Amino acid sequence: MAPNINPIIIFIASIFTSNMILSNFLGMCSYLSVSSEYKTANGLGMAVTLVLVLTTAINWLVYTYIIVPPERYYLQYIIFIMVIAALVQILEMGMDRYTPDLHAKLGIFLPLITVNCAILGVTLFMVIRHYNFIQSLLFGLGSGLGWWLAINMLAAIREKLANAKLPPGVKGPALSFIITGIMAMAFIGFSGIFTIQ
Amino acid sequence: MKRGHVYTLFFMTILTAVLVFALAAAYEAFKPSITTNKLLQEQRAVLYALGIDDDLSDEEVRTRYAESVQPGAVGGITEAYGQPVLAHMEGGNAIAYAVPFEGSGLWGSLRGYLGITADLTETRGLVFTYQNETPGLGGRIDESWFKEQFRNLPIAAGVELAYGANPEYKIDAVTGATQTSSAVMRTINKSLSEIVFPKEVK
Amino acid sequence: MVNEKTSAIIKRNLLSENQVLRAILGICSSLAVTNTMRNSLVMGLGVAFVTGLSSLTLSAMRNIIPHRVRMLVQTLVIAAYVIFVDLFLQAFLPDISKQLGPYVGLIITNCIIMGRAEAYAQQNPPLPAALDGLFAGLGYTMVLLGISFIREVLGFGTLFGMNVNFIRFETWTIMIMPPAAFFIIGGMIWFMSARAAGKAAKAK
Repeated sequence: MAPNINPIIIFIASIFTSNMILSNFLGMCSYLSVSSEYKTANGLGMAVTLVLVLTTAINWLVYTYIIVPPERYYLQYIIFIMVIAALVQILEMGMDRYTPDLHAKLGIFLPLITVNCAILGVTLFMVIRHYNFIQSLLFGLGSGLGWWLAINMLAAIREKLANAKLPPGVKGPALSFIITGIMAMAFIGFSGIFTIQ
Repeated sequence: MKRGHVYTLFFMTILTAVLVFALAAAYEAFKPSITTNKLLQEQRAVLYALGIDDDLSDEEVRTRYAESVQPGAVGGITEAYGQPVLAHMEGGNAIAYAVPFEGSGLWGSLRGYLGITADLTETRGLVFTYQNETPGLGGRIDESWFKEQFRNLPIAAGVELAYGANPEYKIDAVTGATQTSSAVMRTINKSLSEIVFPKEVK
Repeated sequence: MVNEKTSAIIKRNLLSENQVLRAILGICSSLAVTNTMRNSLVMGLGVAFVTGLSSLTLSAMRNIIPHRVRMLVQTLVIAAYVIFVDLFLQAFLPDISKQLGPYVGLIITNCIIMGRAEAYAQQNPPLPAALDGLFAGLGYTMVLLGISFIREVLGFGTLFGMNVNFIRFETWTIMIMPPAAFFIIGGMIWFMSARAAGKAAKAK
């Protein structure tokens, strides 16, 4: 029994009002380590969005048709993470074979993505909130775009600050966290951006 | 050490079988207490909504619930959103009701009970049995300062509860969670107008 | 690294190579649960339990795991322990289980666990590996407790749910909201790297 929420609202809310990184703290590891250059950050953002949409769709089907009927809820984590790992592997092989250009651009990020918490996080939230297929799909897409937006913003700010004179020790991850904190505060301003009806 | 595909396949099969078996055993072992906990959480929630929760122990919750809560009816309605309307009995009379509500938050369903007095003039309390809003933002509706604001508010047919400073009461919304806060209010008002004062429905 | 002393393993994991503050791993699941100390403690112990036992298991199996499916095996074992923790919480600490919600499942993708499995458990015998994993997890718990101490005292005026707001100051709502977690952990990392830089300068 899916909640009666317009999928478009879920889509917008998952980009702005409840951003995967800025409000849910998911996918932080790669967000911090791959954000020193705008170009690579952009590539990773694209790859995460792609994988999120695909895994959300597949995990929804797996959950609805494989986990729910025999009520094997307690095995769901293991099944979800296997689906994600397998999908990323297949995607990498497929890209390598058929779209070498894209593979050259995104390929190096794919192994990082299996352990990106945002991917498993979106699946778990989707399950716990009982979304239907369309809601899940837009939730996955929105979360991916939101993640992409956040990492691009951070990378852009870090590039600007790369040559700035800063106190010792703050350079690197400490600075990224403080920037992210300010972005998170700014994003709270989106909380009243639209009304649910 | 080089090993072939057969070994890999064999290894994975054995490992998966062992893990699944171990987890199934753990699940069966924990299942009884998980089920008891779910029931207990629901009962504790109902007592909280009726305003009779004073940090009761698990055992007290069971006895209190068995003693004083019975299925009830408000204006002939005994059930809403798949949950029963419950009555707080004292000396054979119902002195309050726990009315279920259900609606959509920003992210997912909101479910819970609104406690009201038997003469339908005041609320007793508010409790959520299911919510999945963002932790630290919308999820704060489950914190006690928010829920405690819904004690002893005046209710009447055709009048809606609202945030801000009202003549007889004041309710604060959650900062940074405008959508969730208004969803809560909308859901409660819907439950009030549809179940408690059904004649007011247009 | 093979004959590292027990005390060295402990010290390294709690301080000089603290996984969260120095290696910047495992941030994902750490921040969302840090607005109360009780949640942080349970989450931290859950992670320590999983890291310790998965390092033990993987180290014990290190000579029979086929190399090419190594990551898959690690994920499977970790996921199994996480499910166990999840069931345990549902059975014995239902309130906390409800509050942590999906964040328990996300322990699977906590990079610390896989990091320790890759970096240490693979080359070392089971007992040191278990110790290394356990203390990496406890180092993580320590950081969580540090962050949630600040957030809970300033945000709610309580500690482990007990009121400590004796002077009745107005609590800071921002502390409970996500941005505060970023600022606090940023400050802590800043402090730790300044300290490490100072030490390195002295050594010269």
